[in-house]
Amino acid sequence: MEQIAVRGLNFSYPESGGACLKNINLSVDKGDFVLLFGKSGCGKSTFLKQLKPSIAPFGKRSGTVTLDGKEIETLSQRDESSRIGYVSQDPDNQIVTDKVWHELAFGLESLGYGSETIRLRVAEMSSFFGIQGWFFKPVIDLSGGQKQILNLASVMVMQPEILLLDEPTSQLDPVAASGFIRMLKKINDELGVTILISEHRLEEVLPVCSRTLFMEDGAIRLDTEPGGIGGAMKKAGSDMYAALPACVKIYAEFNGGETPVTVKETKYWLERHVRPRMPKPHVDAPSASGEFAVVLRDIWFRYDRKSEDAVKGASCNVPKGVLYSIVGGNGVGKSTLLSVIGGVRQPYRGKVFLLGRELSRIRAKERYRGLLGFLPQDPRSLFRRNTVRKDLEEMAESVFPSRQGAKDHLERAVDFFQLEPLLERHPYDLSGGEQECAALAKVLLTEPQILLLDEPTKGIDAVFKEKLSGLLTALKKAGKTIILVSHDIDFCAACSDFSALMFNGEILAENPTGKFFAGNGFYTTSANRIARGVFPDALTCEDVIRLCRENSTGA
Amino acid sequence: MRNLPVSGSDAFSGFHPAVLLLYFCVVLFFGMFSLHPVLLAITFFSEFLYSVLLKGRKALKFNLVYMLPITVLVALINPLVNHAGVTILFYLNGNPVTREAIVCGMVYAFAFITVIITFSCFNQVMTSDKLMYLFGKLIPGLSLMFSMVLRFVPRYQAQIKKIAAAQKCIGMDPAHGNWIRRVKNGVAILSVLVTWALENAIETADSMKARGFGLKGRTSFSVFCWRKRDRTLLAAELAGFGAVLAGLTAGEFQCGYFPVIRIAGLEPKAAVFYAAYALFCLLPAAVDGKEALVWNRLQSAA
Repeated sequence: MEQIAVRGLNFSYPESGGACLKNINLSVDKGDFVLLFGKSGCGKSTFLKQLKPSIAPFGKRSGTVTLDGKEIETLSQRDESSRIGYVSQDPDNQIVTDKVWHELAFGLESLGYGSETIRLRVAEMSSFFGIQGWFFKPVIDLSGGQKQILNLASVMVMQPEILLLDEPTSQLDPVAASGFIRMLKKINDELGVTILISEHRLEEVLPVCSRTLFMEDGAIRLDTEPGGIGGAMKKAGSDMYAALPACVKIYAEFNGGETPVTVKETKYWLERHVRPRMPKPHVDAPSASGEFAVVLRDIWFRYDRKSEDAVKGASCNVPKGVLYSIVGGNGVGKSTLLSVIGGVRQPYRGKVFLLGRELSRIRAKERYRGLLGFLPQDPRSLFRRNTVRKDLEEMAESVFPSRQGAKDHLERAVDFFQLEPLLERHPYDLSGGEQECAALAKVLLTEPQILLLDEPTKGIDAVFKEKLSGLLTALKKAGKTIILVSHDIDFCAACSDFSALMFNGEILAENPTGKFFAGNGFYTTSANRIARGVFPDALTCEDVIRLCRENSTGA
Repeated sequence: MRNLPVSGSDAFSGFHPAVLLLYFCVVLFFGMFSLHPVLLAITFFSEFLYSVLLKGRKALKFNLVYMLPITVLVALINPLVNHAGVTILFYLNGNPVTREAIVCGMVYAFAFITVIITFSCFNQVMTSDKLMYLFGKLIPGLSLMFSMVLRFVPRYQAQIKKIAAAQKCIGMDPAHGNWIRRVKNGVAILSVLVTWALENAIETADSMKARGFGLKGRTSFSVFCWRKRDRTLLAAELAGFGAVLAGLTAGEFQCGYFPVIRIAGLEPKAAVFYAAYALFCLLPAAVDGKEALVWNRLQSAA
């Protein structure tokens, strides 16, 4: 039964010339689970907001959107807020009050319910989500994933029929993200709520959705079943094909028609169709015995004298000129360790050596001019000025004494990161990936030999990720040593030379990337999980596809 | 739904916030403004007892290690600087030391630490939620504002640390360079924070609007509810307070220390007013004690 009908919807923002949404036609049935994906800036968020007039951006709009046959604009605000729920990207920004119980009650308070009703509804929802234990907690004690679940629950207490979610998991780690998606599946299955979700990471959501929409330049290009998206994207030749999960890409490379959407199905298909090939013995990475850029010796750190240790005796050796990635779950101390290497926090025991010199003996002025560059998790905390150009100019002038020198370096950085079209824009108006590049350019103006990156792929789409991977490889070739911490295993596997696993404040395993991931049972890339029965050393989709071609049984 | 659990919470702090506030207001009023030795002794003893029941060994340590020396200090200093009073005991450096000043110093000292101990209990029992709830009842809308402030202040604090760390790592923090540069960098950090906050506020506003904020007839939900036991405790409080007020108007609690010590209400018939006040002050300890007894009985019965 049709619930939402969009007919010929066009939309453009007042200042920009081009249309942001172009002739969108869509019919969503009750109980559908619709996945929207596309590059950042393709109009996903704008489109979702059109389905909830109270938060729709200002602009020129034509066409109609109806809900159960009635124009959506004619809904009263009261109806709209209870019938259509909306959850956005940043878990923190959506939370209004300081306590979990108050946040859960917020929507019902707005609707003017009495205490008894609110008490019941809130209790129901807490049980449904299994969050009774947090009920009296201050919001600040929750993790990012818990905050996002709270946001979802505080929308669900209003008992909406439709749920709109705008990249809800982009700021979460993989474990929290998959928990969140599972919750959505439960809401869809058990309560029959219609769900429209936009996402960058498709691996988790593809198996649970019922329809997949691919958006490009403000239009819906493809509208398929989840199993059909691989074939359709391949035919369309879109660069967003890279965003599809490994299980789809590997299968679609060799077969037409429907693709599997889970690791399991592709794994068994692969094992039936190729000859296993055992890996060659590992060749040690060449520079492993050479000079070290960063050496950590038994680092201990805690935030308060009486708190628990966040880093517990971490040691590692990072060779010069390599890309070294530290992976691990949430809260194992990865980011803390990185900030210790960056000199932001001082360990209470142990030593950090940078290029053979002890970090604490290097004066701050020297440290951040030509030695260390640190890119924090939220690149926005680096920007000081209202355009990218002014921001980079200020940085260049503070580093290089001569005007000409500053100008030359600035131009080189702008070229390298292809920032030319973004120079006059406000840093906050850029997409996540563009912000990352602008921030990276800014940090690199200090010409660091060692570059530290904290979660560089957070909230970035697949196309930008490939670009970033290329940039990092180029920087490495130019002689920089790069250390990154990330949840994004696929990214680390694709671009790093060495990988280390951090757990419980310690660095447990440190190996060349190939050996590292091939040795892990499930903390590895999905391509490796698919192929490990036949090609144990294949890490990326490209590896698997290449090996498949070489070892096909022809069946 | 039960009332808010507090760390180190006791039975008394589980009562309705209004009843708790009334208790503390009365005790603090008498603790601060009455220098009558018997009233003071009752207040001191009850609050000392309650603080130990509430916080255990920690309170005992605090009271003995910090409060006792303060008492001695204040009691000693007063006669040295205050020379009023008629009963001169001896001369120190040519200044008279009087009995009135010594007694008054001891009373001041006890009044001082009684107020401090009461406030330490107040802080533990009257958490921000309870105060917010009470003020929210007085001025609707205020409680949401309070709650938002409590949400955003720690967030901004955390963010300013992040920004400062990020700026430090590009060599642009207020700790380096000449002082013009430092001021410039400090201001820059604040301006980054403001930009960040405004940017995020847009999303917060959307989230509020999406959940119907601004509709007419907003209600205010709280986790506190008024029960029968709150009514009972309130009745006990009012009875005790009424008796004390009666004593006050009858002039039983008058006292003065200069030039001579005059203390009213030392005759036996005043005992009834002291008993009423003691009953009032000991309510928390009584509630906790009863709870402990019941608990023990249930345990041993099981």
